[in-house]
Amino acid sequence: MSHDRARTDGPVPALELRGVSKRYGPVVACDAVDLTVQRGEVHGLLGENGAGKSTLMKVLMGLVHADAGEIHRDGARVQVHTPLEAAELGLGMVHQHFSLIEPLTVWENVALGEPGRIDREAICADVEAVGARYGLAIDPTATVERLSAGERQRVEVIKALRRDPKVLILDEPTSVLTIAESAALFEVLRTAVAAEGRGVILISHKLAEITAATDVVSVLRRGRLAFHCRTADTSAPELARQMVGRDVSLRSEGAALGLVVTDDPAKHLTPVLAGGLDAVPAEPPAPEAPADVPGTAALALHGLCVAGPDGRTLLDSLDLEVATGEIVALYGVEGNGQATLGDLLSGLMAPDAGEVRVDGRPVSLDRPGALHEAGVGVIPEDRHRSGVVLDMSVADNLVMTDLRRFSGRLLMRRAQIRAQAEELVERFAIRTPSIDAPLRTLSGGNQQRVVLARELSAEPTVLVAAQPTHGLDVGAIEDMYARLREAAASGVAVLLISTELEEVMALASRIAVISSGRITGILDVADASPQRLGMLVGGEAA
Amino acid sequence: MSTPAPAPARRPLASYVVGRSGLRRPGPDAWRTAGITVLCVLVAMGLAALLVTISGGSPVEVVDALFTGSVSDTAGWSQTLVNAAPLLLVALGACIANRAGVFNIGQEGQLLIGAMVGCFVALRLQGPGWIVVTVALVAAAFGGGAWSGISAAMYYTRGTNVVVSTLLLTFIAAQVVQFAVNSPSLLQESGMGSGPARPQSDAVPEYLRLASFGQYPDLTIGVGVIVAVVATVVLAVLLARSRWGFRLNMLGLNPMAARHAGIRASRLGGSALVLSGAFAGLAGGVILLGTVFRLQPAISNNFGWDGLLVALVARSRPGLALPVAVLFGALRSGSSYLAATGVPDYLVDVVQALLVLAFVVPPVLSALWARRIRNRAPVADTPARPSAAAPAKEEVPV
Repeated sequence: MSHDRARTDGPVPALELRGVSKRYGPVVACDAVDLTVQRGEVHGLLGENGAGKSTLMKVLMGLVHADAGEIHRDGARVQVHTPLEAAELGLGMVHQHFSLIEPLTVWENVALGEPGRIDREAICADVEAVGARYGLAIDPTATVERLSAGERQRVEVIKALRRDPKVLILDEPTSVLTIAESAALFEVLRTAVAAEGRGVILISHKLAEITAATDVVSVLRRGRLAFHCRTADTSAPELARQMVGRDVSLRSEGAALGLVVTDDPAKHLTPVLAGGLDAVPAEPPAPEAPADVPGTAALALHGLCVAGPDGRTLLDSLDLEVATGEIVALYGVEGNGQATLGDLLSGLMAPDAGEVRVDGRPVSLDRPGALHEAGVGVIPEDRHRSGVVLDMSVADNLVMTDLRRFSGRLLMRRAQIRAQAEELVERFAIRTPSIDAPLRTLSGGNQQRVVLARELSAEPTVLVAAQPTHGLDVGAIEDMYARLREAAASGVAVLLISTELEEVMALASRIAVISSGRITGILDVADASPQRLGMLVGGEAA
Repeated sequence: MSTPAPAPARRPLASYVVGRSGLRRPGPDAWRTAGITVLCVLVAMGLAALLVTISGGSPVEVVDALFTGSVSDTAGWSQTLVNAAPLLLVALGACIANRAGVFNIGQEGQLLIGAMVGCFVALRLQGPGWIVVTVALVAAAFGGGAWSGISAAMYYTRGTNVVVSTLLLTFIAAQVVQFAVNSPSLLQESGMGSGPARPQSDAVPEYLRLASFGQYPDLTIGVGVIVAVVATVVLAVLLARSRWGFRLNMLGLNPMAARHAGIRASRLGGSALVLSGAFAGLAGGVILLGTVFRLQPAISNNFGWDGLLVALVARSRPGLALPVAVLFGALRSGSSYLAATGVPDYLVDVVQALLVLAFVVPPVLSALWARRIRNRAPVADTPARPSAAAPAKEEVPV
């Protein structure tokens, strides 16, 4: 499809990929993908996890070698073997995960990797000049570890722009940004594109960003270019359909794809950023007390304080209550204390102050496993870190938190474990060759189901789900949403820790916003709008 | 950017030592590893033969001598088993610590301390033979356990690296034993008539020595061998089937998940470290009461180091440690026959080291190879046909 694009007469594109293919063993990551980026154009690249976006960009940056296909820069065929060659060709990339060295200063990070003599003054001046030109103010002598996530992102962008790229690639640039910061970033991109004729590739899995910030959009699905269009000529639901390859149901899938369900019946799906930030309410929303919770809260966090090893405050007297059968979302930008809270509720660390009550009873947080025994199930943010043991079998992973139930005085009861595993595999539709297969051999979605199955099989009072859909594809996300709702409906208090606005809007009945380790406000979902949440996320209502 | 983990982040090294598929049935990875292992052993043999040739011997003669001295007759077998028993005991302890992800490499010192404590009890305690022997062996185990317990305490209270502390404590142990056998008030032998007392203890009386079954030149099997074999079977079953074994594996493979599951690393990991020291100490007791009969500074004779190597080669599996210990024991007993071939007997140490490398390196090579295959999969030049397009990820939506 759309091969005609390559043939049409027009300006020589800044960058053109023709028939790029890359396989990993039997898996085709990219299948004859064509992509054209014109000067002065923001090109959105959309696709689910595993659709081939990252592989395509790695090919472009010389990190991975394509099996077939050509790359053209300004009409001339080029070979990109290493990232250095890519830089010489005028390709710059801002990676999803920051590649900054925290103890170094901003200018040192910017200079990192450049050949030749390092001139401190010149680089500092450069950083300031680039910052001034694009509105990315930053102190070049500041140490990176003292910067906020948004500021770090700025450093990354400055680092890329200083090398004067003709094509700038941004991979999921907003995952650590507040809505306001995202909007500011897109402004910068606009300047770089319109005034200076650069090409930009914006990679995202969020429809809202793509529709708001791009001129042209390409959709990858299972390694193939599924759709290509001017952004103005398409709509978010259409893009969603192209991304998944079928019609998308309104609620859960919409959320999985970055659409917020609004009350407007005419327009079921509204991209969050479409309206920009013009509609910000005049007065900041007042934080509401977690009052009218019927009965005792199933999970109550009181005054939790945690300081990091470097003395930085990670959690700042955090209070939160979750009632039985309720889904409460803890929403915020990555790196504002969610990971710490997740670790704390997984029993991996004890707070400096504060207490956790389950069903009104305080839990001793010093003792490993105490939270689990008290009835707190956890789907951890990084399942490989604390959720599973990859080298043990599916069956072992399904019972590992409840060993007492599955063992006698000394020996494990293998038969009982197998029976339990068979049942959970069946009930939670876990796709595995056998219950004896090492967990490592399962796909991400199925590993996540193993965690969910294990935690729910203990019949918890509280389920903490931290970023439960990270890295999953739409089908698995949908399934996870259904399971979480089911759990809440059966009386489990669910605490959803998420950075995805659409996810919290779709699932939660109340949304607590976390910023710098503090709850800046709690809203009922009916009162919550992207704008109000955005302000709380920025800590404005504090 | 995620918040840094407050707990000291420990990589599950156990996954390397135990092996990726170490706890499971062999998969394709295991077959590849096995193939590479065979190759590596062949290379090691080749290198060993080359070394023998360079040092003026004949590889055939050397093999013949090693064979004659170790397994060609019952007397050779007897000696091989005598050597294998302490190696196996040390290896069992190492298996426990490795499974828990704490790497004790100080068995040599723990063995020395065990032998010293055992000697003290055997020489000082009065009573019926079998009781004194039992108490002496238990005391030896306690001694070794206490010595590694120092490392455990330092690690779980102050975070002192276990590898470093167990290693350095070995040298302290050697000094402690030196001191003991040079102090008349402690363990130095009571001067019998003329001549200065030597730096060693009195001999353990006849009736306290470990019994053995069978008479030279028939096969003789000492109590030490029996103890080691029984311990192997018990430990193999416990590691594979017990709750303790399950928790130990969890702790070694993913300490974070283990903590989430309610495992207290300081208790389980610390006790594993103490237990591994206890096995080394027991090995010291067995050497003392089974073969040497008196405490000498050289009593450990590298049994601690070699036992650790046995565990490495056996990938921390007791069932495999048994044959490996016998092999290493055979190399030891065979090496005493090397003198006749004109080849220095320390060449056996080199051969042993080459063998260990041949067994330890393959899993790493295999992993590297697998990664290479993943990164540069051979692919046809033409773009894949649409119908052949597989899902981009193994994930299958429901």
